[in-house]
Amino acid sequence: MSDLNAGSPTGVLDRGWSAAVGDYAIAGGWILRGAALVVGDAEGGVYAFDGKSGATAWAQRDVHEGGVLAMAIHPSGAAFATAGQDGRVLIWSAAEGQVSRAIDVGSGWVENVAWSPDGQWLAASCSRQVCAYGADGAEVWRYDDHPSTVSAIAWSSTDELATACYGRVSFFNPSTDSLRQKMEWQGSLVSMVLSPNGDIVVCGSQDNTVHFWRRSTERDSMMSGYPGKPSALAFDSAGTLLATGGGEAVTVWSFRRKGPEGTRPGVLKFHHEPITTLSFAPGARRLASGARDGTVVVWSLQRNGNGSPIGAEDVGDSVAELYWRTDGRALAALDAQGGVTVWAIGETKDRIRRPRQARGPSAGSS
Amino acid sequence: MDTPRKVPVTILTGFLGSGKTTLLNRILTEEHGKRIAVIENEYGEVGIDQALVINADEEVFEMSNGCICCTVRGDLIRVLNNLNKRRDKFDYVLVETTGLADPGPVAQTFFMDDELRAEYSLDGIVTLVDAAHIDQQLGRSDESTEQIAFADVLVLNKTDLVNGAALDGLEARLRGMNRMARVVRSERANIAVDTVLDLGAFDLDQVLERRPTFLEPEYPFEWTGVYSLDTGRYELNLADGPDPAMSLVVASDQGTDDLALQEGAEWCVRQYAEPAEIIHPGGEIPVGRHVNLQLDGLGIKSFFFEVDTPGLIGLYAQHLAEEFELHLRTADGAVVPVKADRTWVAQHEHDNEVGSISIEIDGDCDPQRLNAWISKLLSERGVDIFRMKGFISVAGESRRFVFQGVHMLFDGQPDREWGDAPRRNQLVFIGRNLDGQSMREEFEACLI
Repeated sequence: MSDLNAGSPTGVLDRGWSAAVGDYAIAGGWILRGAALVVGDAEGGVYAFDGKSGATAWAQRDVHEGGVLAMAIHPSGAAFATAGQDGRVLIWSAAEGQVSRAIDVGSGWVENVAWSPDGQWLAASCSRQVCAYGADGAEVWRYDDHPSTVSAIAWSSTDELATACYGRVSFFNPSTDSLRQKMEWQGSLVSMVLSPNGDIVVCGSQDNTVHFWRRSTERDSMMSGYPGKPSALAFDSAGTLLATGGGEAVTVWSFRRKGPEGTRPGVLKFHHEPITTLSFAPGARRLASGARDGTVVVWSLQRNGNGSPIGAEDVGDSVAELYWRTDGRALAALDAQGGVTVWAIGETKDRIRRPRQARGPSAGSS
Repeated sequence: MDTPRKVPVTILTGFLGSGKTTLLNRILTEEHGKRIAVIENEYGEVGIDQALVINADEEVFEMSNGCICCTVRGDLIRVLNNLNKRRDKFDYVLVETTGLADPGPVAQTFFMDDELRAEYSLDGIVTLVDAAHIDQQLGRSDESTEQIAFADVLVLNKTDLVNGAALDGLEARLRGMNRMARVVRSERANIAVDTVLDLGAFDLDQVLERRPTFLEPEYPFEWTGVYSLDTGRYELNLADGPDPAMSLVVASDQGTDDLALQEGAEWCVRQYAEPAEIIHPGGEIPVGRHVNLQLDGLGIKSFFFEVDTPGLIGLYAQHLAEEFELHLRTADGAVVPVKADRTWVAQHEHDNEVGSISIEIDGDCDPQRLNAWISKLLSERGVDIFRMKGFISVAGESRRFVFQGVHMLFDGQPDREWGDAPRRNQLVFIGRNLDGQSMREEFEACLI
């Protein structure tokens, strides 16, 4: 039985509730162990909804002047951070919806924010700067020397932060203020994801390629042939399947054995417009994908990256983000109209109908 | 789903001190009913509260393939894709570049990024020119040349600091580099906002409406004056002007109507092709011969010629009469009035070989041959082609095919129905070292 008030099922997607925020729903996440969903919008408002009913738990408008740009949920689920065009990061207590700490990061937009896996550090990027703050919000580290605006940040371990920008990925240890490793590639890296063990770093590039490096061997490879910019990337929790957007199809590369070099990816076709977001369910080979056409699809994947759609629904407007609840039993979609849709995820059902064809990319070493 | 109108974007370029910020402030304070978002460079200093002003570092990103045509402004992609998410959207975007910016990557960004391309359209490139300093700047940097070559509108600013003759010379020089652009003059960027916004810059019809001479051939002279003269000796006066010398042909038996002027011009082109005889002030000008008048030094210079039989004579001058305050006087010093005059599209010495090529031909194109030609042209010469625009009559297609492009990037679609209008093709290319003759021939080979 689902713990949500489910409506009519569409494959494994059982419609639970929907709600709305003031403008384009930019970012969000499950807080308080899945008891609530928090969402930030393009107007600069932050909203919390009851996880079961969708009722508004609290809402604060005009928090970030110009709009929210990013959000990160603390690993405990009891706090979260928002970042915005106002150059600030706010740390919130999840239960009360109160800002416990406001940080002025810089004069530009704060486009990325991330908690370290142990929740001790909060990293944020603003233009070419990256900063790390302690749990109390005090700045403990700052690096200003990126050659361009930082496009993505991610913690590879509790004491190592990765940053992506034009032409390079850098790994820093903020506590010792050291640059541990630098990977270079002449291209505008627009997105980044790390494998769960931190060894593989993958970036989508403006030139419609996906570039990745294995840190242990420093070998790099490139996947090309994408019809568009691969801005959506996701690794499964085992670190063997990499899902990439960059077109209407989801392209899934398998890192098993010697892959993905020289292998053919799984090409998942359902969406009719480019993929906007990808998210793997925790601990499962189950992938959710969202697209500009408003469709949300849940896929059951095989180990080689091929897969079948097991749930699909149309939320009506471009899907901004998808968030699995930590137990993998609920999925939230944010969309461009400010819609928030939550489904209970049922048991695996038969594969659902797949519509027309889409093109898929090919792999090759660089 | 209905397709909302794309948000138009105007790019504002020009060297430091050319008046970009003044023009920006003027646009933003004027009542035009638009909600404008301004993307300013890091040195920008627009001081207007009500506008959405975003400062962005100019981040010019080259791709791994090393192709300059794929180079984009990463900051614009990030900022504009993000701003577009707001429901209470602005309805116009102005992008101000730094003085030394190459306009190519800025323009290319709106072709190269799929998301931007879906939401925004490049309305026009406006280049401000500091009338007092552009001459030196053009000599020193490729950027200023490219800023002029890329422009849809050239704002010749600070005209109060330069005399009229020099301005005419400067304007002619700018036109020589970019015949597609509209040139407007201003003192403190005090131009009407509608001269720079909502141009629909890629509509060639508009360009032709504004400047019907746009597709005319170029001549080695800019001005013809026709005078009715009796037998006798005449004095040609020239004051200080923009150049230390000027070529001239004095033609006898000149008519005053347009056809006669055209015929005279064709004849004079051949005279201009001959080496010029150098004439110093006080010297005699042989009638019917290409001469080069030496105008060094200050003050009015005088040259003389004799008329044997009364009639109309034409002076075909390399520069406009007002640039040198050209006057013709009789032996007793009376100024002879001009009976007729006209200006020609001048074939200027092209700055760094930057110039405009225009092709105008009647008929229908074979789509396959046309495609093959454009692909070849853009792959071989894309680096040197700054801008292109035009329309083409494709065989079997009931509508005009309109196109525009920047370097290798080409964008076209069917536009209005031909109806009863004669089917023809007009193409304009602005670029460096383009071979107009062979481009014309290659295009002709695409006709059915």
